[in-house]
Amino acid sequence: MDAIATRNLTKVYRGHIGRGAVKSLDRLTLTIAPNEVFGFLGRNGAGKTTTIKILCSLLRATTGEAFVMGQDTRRRATRKHIGYLPENPYFYEYLNPRETLDFYGELHGLTRAERAAEWDRLAGLLDLRDIAGQRVRGFSKGMRQRLGFAVALVGDPEVLILDEPMSGLDPLGRRMIRELILLLHGQGKTIFFSSHVLGDVEQICSRVGILVKGKLTTQGRLDELLNRRVNRVEIIATGLSEAAAAAVAARSDGVRESEQGRHFFVNDLDGANAVASDILQSGGTLVEFTPIRESLEEYFMREQETVS
Amino acid sequence: MRVLAVARNTFREAVRDKVLYVLLLFAAAAIFGSKALGWISIGQDIKIVKDLSLAAVSVFGVLIAIFVGTNLVYKEIDKRTIYTILCRPMHRWEFILGKYLGLAALLALVTAVMAAVAAVYVVVLGGSLDVTFFQAVLLIYGQLLLITALAVLLSAVTSPILGAIIVFSTYVVGHATSIFTELPPQFDGTFSKRVLEAVYYIIPNLSNFDIRAEAANGVPVAPGYVLWAMAYGAVYTAVLLIIASLAFQDKDV
Ligand SMILES: Nc1ncnc2c1ncn2[C@@H]1O[C@H](COP(=O)(O)OP(=O)(O)OP(=O)(O)O)[C@@H](O)[C@H]1O
Ligand SMILES: [Mg+2]
Repeated sequence: MDAIATRNLTKVYRGHIGRGAVKSLDRLTLTIAPNEVFGFLGRNGAGKTTTIKILCSLLRATTGEAFVMGQDTRRRATRKHIGYLPENPYFYEYLNPRETLDFYGELHGLTRAERAAEWDRLAGLLDLRDIAGQRVRGFSKGMRQRLGFAVALVGDPEVLILDEPMSGLDPLGRRMIRELILLLHGQGKTIFFSSHVLGDVEQICSRVGILVKGKLTTQGRLDELLNRRVNRVEIIATGLSEAAAAAVAARSDGVRESEQGRHFFVNDLDGANAVASDILQSGGTLVEFTPIRESLEEYFMREQETVS
Repeated sequence: MRVLAVARNTFREAVRDKVLYVLLLFAAAAIFGSKALGWISIGQDIKIVKDLSLAAVSVFGVLIAIFVGTNLVYKEIDKRTIYTILCRPMHRWEFILGKYLGLAALLALVTAVMAAVAAVYVVVLGGSLDVTFFQAVLLIYGQLLLITALAVLLSAVTSPILGAIIVFSTYVVGHATSIFTELPPQFDGTFSKRVLEAVYYIIPNLSNFDIRAEAANGVPVAPGYVLWAMAYGAVYTAVLLIIASLAFQDKDV
């Protein structure tokens, strides 16, 4: 059973007066296996939040369907399995974190004792004790995000759906969220999160999906996606005679010199190995042999171009 | 329980609303000011104080129901607090019902406070209170329950301004439904007459809840009537809340 599955999910926002209807999501079909950390990528307006809101049944899909833990998301019971962190979460300003978690615990159907236990667990996990009695009104972005995460985790749901969990946070805050996601992954949770910070995604996701203008253009394991397109190798060598260097350069796809030595660029791995052995045979010293993999960012950029 | 959790928070939030206190101040001013009109009819001043105080309780109760009620669901959508609530394993009707009950509880408190002020004032002025006075207060609350249900319905489907206009119009027209049945003869057989008749059947007849004159004059009202009027309000209220839940069921938030 998939943790999350969507089938031909399409969302057309009804146009306001003076504006036509907007197709924000176009036949999105996605599957996410249990315990996966899935990064959902796309530029502003790509349809990430729209997808997430449909999964959390805040929006009704125009056509298509969505399932979480094998159950239709429109069913009430399905939502027991979902922990949702909205993009910029908002809570009642006049409650403090403790009261807030208690409220959501009650909505989740927890008993008083279970809610107290939940508070202990989550206040520890998200460092809420110091601010337990403070009204949400005065909270900074980081505090709100921590509280939002705690709220998402109330009731210990198996599937976490996080809308840009790291946006607007400082490096420390982002690290905290990254570590939390990895911790939850370790506990067997499924994590689906949207982002446009590719570095963060690259660090923690096992699979990604890329959404461009409402259409899913790619879905797959990060290593597979990026490996397919690698294989430019940078070789740095020293101690080569001019003649030997010229011979090696002739077999390379690019050359450059720096204080470190001569850089040779080769566009395939086998060729690079041949070049390296040439260098060694001509009495040179191999300083570096670096296969340059495409970064997610480069991949992402190319993906945008192919569609537009 | 989920409904009660929502209701409790709604109550807590509404209690903090400054509009509430402004309206309560006006209500108190109206109650105390009613004595000033007593001089018009010497010897009748207690009657007038009772009559006008009850009118104040009704009008200011309705204003609170309108100001707070037409914002209830709208504000949750506007401030996006609703996202983290509706994604819980709860039915949307539970949310609507919770919001409604929270405000209904607040109005019970507010009505009780205003009625107590009025009652104490009557006694201080040397008047006496009878059961009809309290029956009148109960019916005012029954009417508020109905008005609040309409306000909550509108807050789920439209803006507070439009909602407030509709609720207020309903309040005014609801107290004057007889104008629909007593149309001048030139309306006979016209399309307008049929439209007005339809309106007559849809709009609650709020004068059913109005026993102010009886309360002012100490005329007894049969408990059966009070019960009937409350039941009439309960049916309208239930229908309005069901419509609100249905309208909200598939709404994009
Ligand atoms: N309520 C709405 N009514 C009309 N159009 C909407 C509505 N909400 C979103 N849209 C449109 O749908 C498209 C997708 O929006 P969405 O919020 O899903 O994007 P996103 O990928 O989350 O973007 P971001 O990275 O900026 O958060 C956008 O073109 C947006 O203008
Ligand atoms: Mg978004």
